[in-house]
Amino acid sequence: MTRTLSEFYQRFNQLRGRRVFIIPTRFGFVYAAFLFLILLGSINYSNSMGHVLCFLLASLGQIAMLHTYRNLAKIELNNAYAEPVFFGQTITFILLFDNHSKFDCYQIEVSSKQHEIRSWNPFKKLTGFKLHRMISLLKKQQNDHYALSLPAQKRGKLALGRIRIASLFPLGLFHTWSYFNTEYTALVYPKPEGDLPLPLTAEYGQQFKQHQQKGVDDFSGFNSYRVGDPIHAIAWKAMARDDILRTKQFTSQQGGLVMLSWQDLNHIADIEIRLSQLCSWVLQADSAGMNYGLTLPSTTLHYGHGEVHRHRCLTALALYEQ
Amino acid sequence: MIGLSLGALPHFSYQPLWVTIIFTAMIAWRCMNIWHDWPLPSKQHRSMKWLQLGIACIAILLLLTSYGSLIGRDAGVALLTVMLGLKVVEIRSSRDYYLSCFLGYFLVVTNFFYSQSIPTAGLMFVVVLIMTTCLISMNDPKQVINTHSRLKLAGKMVLQAIPVMLLLFVFFPRIAGPLWGLPQDAYNSTTGIDDSMTLGKISQLILSDEVAFRVKFEGEIPRQSQLYWRGPILWNTDGTTWTELSKKNQFSTVPNIITSVTEYIYSVTLEPHNDHWLFALDLADKPPATPVSYLTHDGLLRSKDPIRQRVQYQLTSHTQFQFNADREANLASALQLPVDKHLRTRLLAEQWLQQTRQPRELVQLALNHFNQQQFYYTLMPPLLSGDTIDSFLFETRRGFCEHYAASFTILMRAVGVPTRIVTGYQGGEINPVNDFMIVRQRDAHAWTEVWIQGEGWLRVDPTASISKERIEQGINSIMPIGMRSPLFIANNQQLLELWQSIRNNWDALDNSWNQWILAYGPKLQKEFLSRLGMPSPDWQKMVVWLILSISIVLLIISMILFYQRKQLTPVARLYKNFCNKLARVGIKRHLNEGPLDFADRIKQNYPQPSTEINRITELYINLYYGNQSASIADLHNAVKQFQLQKS
Repeated sequence: MTRTLSEFYQRFNQLRGRRVFIIPTRFGFVYAAFLFLILLGSINYSNSMGHVLCFLLASLGQIAMLHTYRNLAKIELNNAYAEPVFFGQTITFILLFDNHSKFDCYQIEVSSKQHEIRSWNPFKKLTGFKLHRMISLLKKQQNDHYALSLPAQKRGKLALGRIRIASLFPLGLFHTWSYFNTEYTALVYPKPEGDLPLPLTAEYGQQFKQHQQKGVDDFSGFNSYRVGDPIHAIAWKAMARDDILRTKQFTSQQGGLVMLSWQDLNHIADIEIRLSQLCSWVLQADSAGMNYGLTLPSTTLHYGHGEVHRHRCLTALALYEQ
Repeated sequence: MIGLSLGALPHFSYQPLWVTIIFTAMIAWRCMNIWHDWPLPSKQHRSMKWLQLGIACIAILLLLTSYGSLIGRDAGVALLTVMLGLKVVEIRSSRDYYLSCFLGYFLVVTNFFYSQSIPTAGLMFVVVLIMTTCLISMNDPKQVINTHSRLKLAGKMVLQAIPVMLLLFVFFPRIAGPLWGLPQDAYNSTTGIDDSMTLGKISQLILSDEVAFRVKFEGEIPRQSQLYWRGPILWNTDGTTWTELSKKNQFSTVPNIITSVTEYIYSVTLEPHNDHWLFALDLADKPPATPVSYLTHDGLLRSKDPIRQRVQYQLTSHTQFQFNADREANLASALQLPVDKHLRTRLLAEQWLQQTRQPRELVQLALNHFNQQQFYYTLMPPLLSGDTIDSFLFETRRGFCEHYAASFTILMRAVGVPTRIVTGYQGGEINPVNDFMIVRQRDAHAWTEVWIQGEGWLRVDPTASISKERIEQGINSIMPIGMRSPLFIANNQQLLELWQSIRNNWDALDNSWNQWILAYGPKLQKEFLSRLGMPSPDWQKMVVWLILSISIVLLIISMILFYQRKQLTPVARLYKNFCNKLARVGIKRHLNEGPLDFADRIKQNYPQPSTEINRITELYINLYYGNQSASIADLHNAVKQFQLQKS
């Protein structure tokens, strides 16, 4: 029985959609007070047109409420995405807002709160939102991207948290708002810090000799075309200038091998400083074009190089013990 | 700002000039700030702040000197106007802006204290529209919406607000005012007949086009020459001014009236004149039910309270009657003459005594005198000096009804015939649009009544012996056309007719406006609601009706506001049904997920025979994206048969 009821309630909620709250603003209350004054005056002077004006304004307030509600009711947050950043930087979430209604929506405040404050006061739930930006216009039946920047002050997964959209439009008499409880997260790498040199063993050091070989990563110059060169490597733009076929040459830097190990930093007690040092090493090794691996107490990543490998290593650092 | 100016505009006509000047100057100051960066009072411009403060102080002083106080209707409105002007120059924060807008709305209400006519109501809508646009602009700081669309949005909102406004107007339980004492000056902007008469006073009234009252006759309409609308009756004179018989000098008697059979039944809608009398066609047989009133000893209907709102009353009147035929208690007052005044006039009258002593003949002699000597009836009588009656009768000989009535009374009293002056209106024109008779201020008139033993008070209109047209065709016949209508159309007969018909229609509209909108108070509301079918309306019922009807109307409006047509093709709708079925068990299709990917995911997550899913997906893809090789009916059946096994 209770289950049927709760199912029914959930279905009802689905139909109703997101909850949209609305209350009069300070000016809304002032407006109401003015209306009351006008009504009193009209009654006192038995002024029929005074009544008319009072009723017109009261009705206008009602209509304003509907319009304010409508301005927000059909807006959905469809997606949010953020590139990983290092600790201490600013993380930028790209939010995709979708306006399902057949009306343009104006002046929407987007604010967020990352942590729910637990308090005996239910109104605390309403506060603590930080205003991030105003969406001046969201066209009907369209979506748009908006960047929302948050400081990355915690290593690991950073939750976007609760997003609130709010609006006063059109008359500013009513304040309407709605929440999106998002589960979108972004990755925050540790801060690359620490001035210890890369832990190169002597053996590795001998091998650490940079030599060039043809690769695909970095542009290093042109060569004249030889039969068998891939078509995509032909410098078409250059050919357009002087009709000589050239191919673009790319190089990959191939460094030595280095294993970045948690154990190498046993003398550092603080986990975060250790991770920072490892992070810094990863970046150094990556920029030196070395093959590097990472050993953490929980995981071990084998030698590798390139964008994806770097990301994998940094992710492992970011999520360490989380 | 434009809204504020418009709202304040009607006030300028009756407020002192300096209020207008200050308000206009402040608006201009703000405009100069916007266009030419003039400094405004602020922290950076201390001197401007002092200047503004100075203006405010001067304004308050001026208000105190010209109105005596800051409380009261006129002073309050003037204060509001000035302060709003001063506020305009220092609008900085959004708070100031909102406040000014709200005060702008308030200013509209103050307009209604003075006039509630249709144009003022129209102005109200314009001001509300502009103020609403201002509020929208306030909430659109980046100007995403252009001015035109803003105005359009405001217009839409106002239009949507109107149905609920009408319901509120009809059903909101009206409370009879006033709730507290009204300021003394609440009603002083009225014109009309006074309770005293000085020569030259009524002729000022004839310049006024204002409506005094409107009459709706049931049945027969009396002839024009019978349309004497009785007002205050004047007995006493000090030589220049005529006044009513004061309480201490009068013998209050119940008038003894014998009426003839011919009676006229009619209802009068009287414009407020802030005095006690109710105008009636000559002699009403009994006072109306409302307003509370009584018939005085001289046949005037007097209300208990001054007429401060438009009132409507039903009367039955007679134009043929005998009034105190046998005995009149106040005869002495009807013979009173100021000592040592009008000596030439008295001498003239006393000469007539040698010819006859019959009152009727004496009356005729006086009328003949007016008729046969070089007397003229004029709307613009020359100024009289010295003994006004003497100089009129023997020098200027040009006068208006009041001159003839006053001098006739003196002549009669001099020969011992009791006479009194009756003021009021004579005539009235029928508006063919709604058959209401309109009596305007310019129909104001003064005539006399003489008392003859055995016959009572008889009406004698000396004006009739000079200008028959005035009585028989109304004042319009003797008024130059230019005085009744704008000059530029006065020469063209067709334009004149057009003007007349526009005027008639407008007045009919104005009358219904008065009868239905402006008079809509507690009483009319009850009547109207009973007619609508609400048995014995009281405020509880009204509130119930109000809430019900408003809910319905708001529901309709919201439906209009929120209605969205689902623009799905049948195929998409069927596929959506399929998705919905899956969504119920927790497999939701992502927005960016194609049907094939979705099908794969279902198969992974749900132990469902994959053939069904494949079939639906394939049909959908064929129908929606590909050539129409599949039939919708198949998809329909497939989706319909698709049943999830509860896991």
